[in-house]
Amino acid sequence: MDFSRVQLSDDDRKFQDDVRAFLSEIVTEDVIRRDRETGDNFDEGVHLALGAAGYLEREWKPDSDRAFTRVQRRIWELEKRRAHVPWVTSGTTAMIARSVKKFASPELRAEVLPRVYSGHVRMCLGYTEPEGGSDVATCKTRAVRDGDGWIINGSKMFTTGAHNCQYVFLITNTDPDAPKHKSLTMFLVPLDSPGVEIQGIRTVDGDRTNIVYYSDVRVDDRYRLGAVNDGWTVVREPLNAEHGDVDAADDGLADVSIMMHQAMFMAAAVDKAAQRCAVDDGAVAYRLGRSVARMEAALSAPSIFGRVALAQTMRDISPDLMDLLGAASALPDGADGAADDGAAEYVYRFAPLVGIYGGTLEVFRNMIAQYVLGLGKPAYAAPAAKKAS
Amino acid sequence: MSMDRYELRRLDYSLSEDHQALQAAYKDFFATRCPIETVRAAEESGFDKNLWERLCAMGATTMAVPESAGGDGATLVDLTLVAEEIGRSLAPVPWIDHVCAERLLARLGAVEADVVDGTKLVALDPQQDAATGRRLIPAGSVAEQVLVRDGTEIVALSFASRPAHVDNIGKLPMAWVDPATADSRTVLAGGPEALAEYQRALDEWRLLTGAALVGLVEETMTIAAEFAKTRYTLGVPISSLQAISHPLANIAITVQGGRNLARRAAWFLDNEPEERRELAPSTFVFMAEEAAKAATMAVHVQGGLGVSAEAAATAYLVRARGWAVAGGDPATTAKYIATIVAEREGRS
Repeated sequence: MDFSRVQLSDDDRKFQDDVRAFLSEIVTEDVIRRDRETGDNFDEGVHLALGAAGYLEREWKPDSDRAFTRVQRRIWELEKRRAHVPWVTSGTTAMIARSVKKFASPELRAEVLPRVYSGHVRMCLGYTEPEGGSDVATCKTRAVRDGDGWIINGSKMFTTGAHNCQYVFLITNTDPDAPKHKSLTMFLVPLDSPGVEIQGIRTVDGDRTNIVYYSDVRVDDRYRLGAVNDGWTVVREPLNAEHGDVDAADDGLADVSIMMHQAMFMAAAVDKAAQRCAVDDGAVAYRLGRSVARMEAALSAPSIFGRVALAQTMRDISPDLMDLLGAASALPDGADGAADDGAAEYVYRFAPLVGIYGGTLEVFRNMIAQYVLGLGKPAYAAPAAKKAS
Repeated sequence: MSMDRYELRRLDYSLSEDHQALQAAYKDFFATRCPIETVRAAEESGFDKNLWERLCAMGATTMAVPESAGGDGATLVDLTLVAEEIGRSLAPVPWIDHVCAERLLARLGAVEADVVDGTKLVALDPQQDAATGRRLIPAGSVAEQVLVRDGTEIVALSFASRPAHVDNIGKLPMAWVDPATADSRTVLAGGPEALAEYQRALDEWRLLTGAALVGLVEETMTIAAEFAKTRYTLGVPISSLQAISHPLANIAITVQGGRNLARRAAWFLDNEPEERRELAPSTFVFMAEEAAKAATMAVHVQGGLGVSAEAAATAYLVRARGWAVAGGDPATTAKYIATIVAEREGRS
């Protein structure tokens, strides 16, 4: 057990100073304002600057000469959060790059990875379908053999960042008659392929995601990842990472659960409420103190427990944080007289999304019930009988 | 200065081998010495003297003070591990009250050998805000000495005949104590530093009570989960119904969050007591609220069998509430957290 400040070597201290200075220089007020306006959670200029300075390669390529040490990696994560570096498209790119490294042909790796490290290639997730829910294995988007390639037809929801990406990590169905985990094939589809149509959707937290339509999109077989009908093997590992079902780092140099980045917006809202509220009023102080207690418990919960606790606690305490600041908590960041620069109202709008990323809270409660408590697979009602037409 | 949420600190909640050995020893002790029958048998007085003596013989009170005070110098992290086992077993012993008072006496340079070895039981008034006049003391009917605040002083009270036990939902050895009727009143210390030491004792009491509630909640959840696996409705175990499994999963999340928070809070009190002073009371405020909800759900999962006065679930139900409220309204502690955080964040 250890929660002490990490003792830094001179080199690591210099690394921290350099990173902090570099990030504060490239993440300008303009970047932040543009990000808020577009909801992109990505900035090409910032991303290319990180690539040019070698940081992306150091972060994402463990066998590179200057790969981050554990301490440097942790410094990097924390300083990016401190500087509010847009993170969503960068995060999906990192996740997919691992699968490309593991499952792509040498030619495809050579096409993609160097440009990932330079920042010129970004990748997004093509999992969820408009009619599907959290079960990514239920996939209607079809890929059909066509000579030395494939023809893809279908549509995907929540392909966040697609308009800033070059490839989508796409789950397709290549055998509709097979059991669902043996029916899937993964592709890395170039987003400039004819027949790809990206349509933006704004979400209530201000971010932008996309619905992407695939109409007779022709993809060469070399963009396939893993074997035909073995897509589940490819997608399982990044899904596990996204679920947050990973062990704690024994050196204490990692978040104890995923969604910690998102949870820092809750922490910022709590700290701001503490600065600005009328703490001498007992009703205010009670709700603030209770919110602190609930947040600190959620920040402590590990692994898959933590991700549920964080999303749930954001939902639970943000209304109280707004209430205790009064009517001016309803004003957004930048508005005249905003009580807390919109911090709590943002958490309130953001929390519903945090509770569905990578699966809904119910999916994770199912997993805890089944695998931790041993309560068995959930019993579902029998499918409704189809009406005769 | 406001807190730096991006500060580079380790986040290592793991238990050392020594921690694990200590935890296993106390888990085994209570599993052997404190089955539910022992808990039930002590309900009338709220205290099992035999269990207390065996616990003291294990070193559970000696460990709590530094070697300079005649103890074994355990950390607060160690003590949270013991507290969790006390909660898990519902042990009818006022160990938390005793060690918090004992440690306070040690800090004031007033601890005696018979307090350290537990032959002389001591307790304290755990109310966050200083009370005046007659008040309920959770271990008041069994303690030989009760520590209270009186204005700017810390005083030790004792009574020729112990204050009478009063029945209570937490099945604690609780008594009404009126400082004015004490047969002996000794001023131990006074002034702001003494009051700060008393506040530290209150923080420790809340930390350890929170840790005990973690163990309590985990055990009643486990009992309910086992029940749900073997109880069938319409051909399926009720554990497979999400109306049952999701509330149980939520309780598992509460346990994991509360447990790690208790350990982190304890670590800071052990190592950097001026940092993160809000964490110990936060452990308590979180668990005080969640324990009652969780214990009620655990009873509910077991339906008509759960509500039986003989069911283990009801023993957990009443203590989940009684232990949480024994130190006064938890909202007072929440307000205390708010003042700590507001001060830290530089509210003028």
